[in-house]
Amino acid sequence: MKGNTGKVVNIDMTNGSVRIETLPEEYYKQYIGGSGLAAKIFWERGRFDIDPLAPEAMLIFMNGPFAGLKVSGASRNSVAGCSPLTGHWGDSSSGGYFAPELRYAGYDGLIITGKASKPSYLLIKDDAIQILDACEYWGKGTEEVTTALKIKYGKDHRTLTIGPAAENLVKYTIILNDGHHATGRAGFGAIMGSKNLKAIVIKASKKDMAYADKEHFETYRKELNSRIVEALPASVLHEDGTAANLGGGVASGDVPVKNWQSNFWEESSDALAGSTLSELYLTKRTACAFCGIACKRVVEVKEGPFAIPEGPGPEYETMVAFGTLIGSIDLAATCKAGRVCNELGMDTISAGGTIAWAMEAFEKGDLTLADTDGIALKWGDLETVINVILPKIAKREGKLGQLLADGSVAAAKKIGKGLEYTVHSKGLEAPMHDPRGGGHGLALTYAMSPRGACHVADPMLFIEMGARYYPEIGFDYITGNDPQSDENKPEATVVAVTFGALENCACWCQFADVLTIPDWLNLFNDVAGYDWNTEKMLMAGRRVFYLKRLINYRYGLTAKDDSLTPRMLEPARDGAPEGIVMNFEGMKSRFYGLMGFDPIKAIPTKEKLLEYGMAEEAKKVW
Amino acid sequence: MKYWKDEAEAVKAFVSLWEACGKDQELIDGMKKVNQLIWFDYTESGPNCSFNVDSRDGKFIVAGGKPAGEPNLIMSLTADNAHLSWANKLNPVMAITRGQIKVKGSATGLLKLAPKLKKVALIYEQVLKDLGMEDKLKM
Ligand code: SF4
Repeated sequence: MKGNTGKVVNIDMTNGSVRIETLPEEYYKQYIGGSGLAAKIFWERGRFDIDPLAPEAMLIFMNGPFAGLKVSGASRNSVAGCSPLTGHWGDSSSGGYFAPELRYAGYDGLIITGKASKPSYLLIKDDAIQILDACEYWGKGTEEVTTALKIKYGKDHRTLTIGPAAENLVKYTIILNDGHHATGRAGFGAIMGSKNLKAIVIKASKKDMAYADKEHFETYRKELNSRIVEALPASVLHEDGTAANLGGGVASGDVPVKNWQSNFWEESSDALAGSTLSELYLTKRTACAFCGIACKRVVEVKEGPFAIPEGPGPEYETMVAFGTLIGSIDLAATCKAGRVCNELGMDTISAGGTIAWAMEAFEKGDLTLADTDGIALKWGDLETVINVILPKIAKREGKLGQLLADGSVAAAKKIGKGLEYTVHSKGLEAPMHDPRGGGHGLALTYAMSPRGACHVADPMLFIEMGARYYPEIGFDYITGNDPQSDENKPEATVVAVTFGALENCACWCQFADVLTIPDWLNLFNDVAGYDWNTEKMLMAGRRVFYLKRLINYRYGLTAKDDSLTPRMLEPARDGAPEGIVMNFEGMKSRFYGLMGFDPIKAIPTKEKLLEYGMAEEAKKVW
Repeated sequence: MKYWKDEAEAVKAFVSLWEACGKDQELIDGMKKVNQLIWFDYTESGPNCSFNVDSRDGKFIVAGGKPAGEPNLIMSLTADNAHLSWANKLNPVMAITRGQIKVKGSATGLLKLAPKLKKVALIYEQVLKDLGMEDKLKM
């Protein structure tokens, strides 16, 4: 096999068995890699009748076919399984350095089941795979554990670690690569915690991989790399990071304020801008493996209540989730909140979203001091958030920690109030782009995304900005001047979910996606030897989207779950989108029609599945 | 050119636009934050079709032609697309993605101005009217 190694490692943490398995080649051509290939494995072997934190639950790490290529943005990896936060299909991806090392070690993925009898970590050195004692690391933060493992094995060993919050099974916990790069969403850290798996350390002895057509690829690689790095977004991301255009978002009403009660906080444009971060706190720019864009930040806050030593800096999502979303525009505070979340091992989006919900609940009287261990939850009180609330959640301490550790939806259900002002789809707290301002197409993709509200499952955000088009398939749909309308958004969503699946299965960074259809074909054919034409490639993308929908259907999800909350659908109260009514149901119904979905089950009809070569899958749902 | 009689007419409209922007405190403050020498290079539509704005070190100077010093940012497009873009009828992100606008140099400062494009469009409309060029507003 080329590009891919064709091999995955099955690890049973209960009995310590390790089995290397060769996957059927057609799995790759049908489901590509990354989250698509993980979905195929989960479909075949996953359990739909157990708690995601049960020992039998499966945790899948999966590379795309391009991991290890010396190309910007090509070396992310997926983590997938049943999300502890949402209780249905989940996948999340991470940049960093794990994916290439796994590929060079000879594997495309790890499939982990079982539960170790004591805290453990995995050590992978090519075909030597060991489960070792991690008692000395249990209870410790990600930075301390990462440093300790790097001291023990060497800096060139790549690490994945979880923090104390994941050990305590907080349901929105992360897996952190090399202390900086997070698999952030859907709570997979908790699955590692439930398996007593504190860390994974990996080192390959060689650094090469097989190509279908190396000579052709090498010539193309250089040209592609310069195109990626020279593209305007790359230079902007390099200079000021992922928050470079926060001001544009504020102006369009895309940046949520106080739990999505407002779409406009003018002062946040400057206060939280990427350029302000560069000016005040940036010490270094850094990157994932082989990436010339280097959008990652290293920051230091030298003084004040939020002082932190030099280390990983916040990305856009963190700056808003611990900024305007909870009523603050204190940039130093967002830096510290992000660092604390990393250290405890929590997803900043769900953590910020859950705390924002709790602050509104407290303001409304739906939560009282009796529910919060006597702690007042006040907008903008970052000192309490950082010093009290986050640690309490991580430890599941007291009533407040227990209440918020399972996310905003579970918390609202527990107190029997406030569901209408949760902000999520399918149980996943929404990212920091409000579709009422950012674009109505984004609302549709949030609701259709199998894992729940997600801005990276597909490129809709970029499509609505006018930054993505595919003339080869007649998609030159320009909505840049009118994102706040439903016109043609279902059609755009069909394209978005297809290319989103390609990106996510290829584990390709969205920021480096300048790829045209011929580029995608070059990559899949020259590297992985899939021998695709446009039609086959797009069918593979669509097939992956369909399969994830089928998995959710087996978890009991139907059309009613393709929804957004009342808060997300009410007309914006201020800012650029003020008063605009969104035609969400109209877009949804049109999208179902275009995708060949059954209107109740919200999965493809039997005929559609047969058209996509999914006869076996069809038997389980029709 | 579809919208312009000649290069001089185009440059006159654009320089007047920027001079008018220079009377708006919000835009001046925004440009000062950008702190760059920008060359708006429309020479694809004629060798003299360009102007520059210097907002470095608290200045705000608008002049026709290529700047004497090395610009921090060059925006290259046709005079027709420039007209559409100042009138807020051409989405800049879309135009850049499709190669209709080429950007050389650091564009991060300009991002700060992007939210103000709607305001610039209103000023542009007035400027064209004041110059007796209202026919150009029919796009
Ligand atoms: S653009 Fe940023 S997130 Fe994407 S691969 Fe490069 S460094 Fe990583």
